[in-house]
Amino acid sequence: MQAIKALGASAPSTVLSVLKKGAFAPVVGQIRQTHLPAPNPNERRPYSPFQKPSNMAEYAVARLDDLLNWGRKGSMWPMTFGLACCAVEMMHFAAPRYDMDRFGILFRASPRQSDVMIVAGTLTNKMAPALRKVYDQMPEPRWVVSMGSCANGGGYYHYSYSVVRGCDRIVPVDIYVPGCPPSAEALLYGMLQLQKKVKRMKTVQIWYRK
Amino acid sequence: MSLGKYLALDKIANFFTVIKQNGGIRGSLYKMYRQDDLKDGVLVGQDEFGNKYYENPRFFFGRNRWVEYSDNFNMDYDGSQVTAEWFGWLHYKTDLPPHEDPSRPKYKWMVPFTENMSGTTGQYTPYSTTRPKIEPWVPPRKSSV
Repeated sequence: MQAIKALGASAPSTVLSVLKKGAFAPVVGQIRQTHLPAPNPNERRPYSPFQKPSNMAEYAVARLDDLLNWGRKGSMWPMTFGLACCAVEMMHFAAPRYDMDRFGILFRASPRQSDVMIVAGTLTNKMAPALRKVYDQMPEPRWVVSMGSCANGGGYYHYSYSVVRGCDRIVPVDIYVPGCPPSAEALLYGMLQLQKKVKRMKTVQIWYRK
Repeated sequence: MSLGKYLALDKIANFFTVIKQNGGIRGSLYKMYRQDDLKDGVLVGQDEFGNKYYENPRFFFGRNRWVEYSDNFNMDYDGSQVTAEWFGWLHYKTDLPPHEDPSRPKYKWMVPFTENMSGTTGQYTPYSTTRPKIEPWVPPRKSSV
């Protein structure tokens, strides 16, 4: 497995498609195109993920993106969407021990003023239209963190007649936090991963490309 | 209790030792920027990435062991960069750091530690080796177009 993965990062795609038939090859091909190169632990990492611009204009939009992403990742306000017991862990994340306020993450009760939605708990069929409505009311850019196995894929209630098998059937999900329920630390790590994801968003660069 | 302690003068002395240990005013400001914290402690060890592990029993349990990530990681440090050897010490599973613990197993088949590679080409990609139970419908091509 490791060898195939290492190959996926370096070998040309023709060799790959011969080597790996089935569903694995297109996934690896897609990852090679959309993801950042794997970091080297012995190399100093620059602040910005956008390096080596080819001209001045690209440099300018890359720095604008850095500035925008810095602002966005430093003040991500989640929508309070506690559905089940995961919400208790979400409250722990807000409480002084894990203290989400130090990352600029504050709960907002209104979807119009929030950037992130933390889907904490079992999403039932009855709640699904409400979830979608709340998501639609959030302004762009918006992110969704799916918290706990129930929100990730149904979890314990996967075979229930009244539960949605994963909230990604209703809304697009950015970060999945595993666990039943995930600890507040796990949610904290998930939010930090979301910050990392926001850091490599290319809003201005895509606008410039168009 | 001495008079200095009674007047909380030792706190001022602590403040100066903290500033001194973190490399003066410039170094302290850099550390405040990078890790939002200034502490003084004893350097217990260093792992293969260059992360430094500190301990100071003056702080409360839970905050008395901490890691200062290697300068190579810059602002992209996260918890998964703590190596497996040091994880146990940092999380109070053991009091013995890895270089003082002779009982830890070391085999040649053990893979080198990697951090969480999500979002990069090195990330874990799950795949299935069995044929899918459901085949997607492929719409027939219109012959007239």
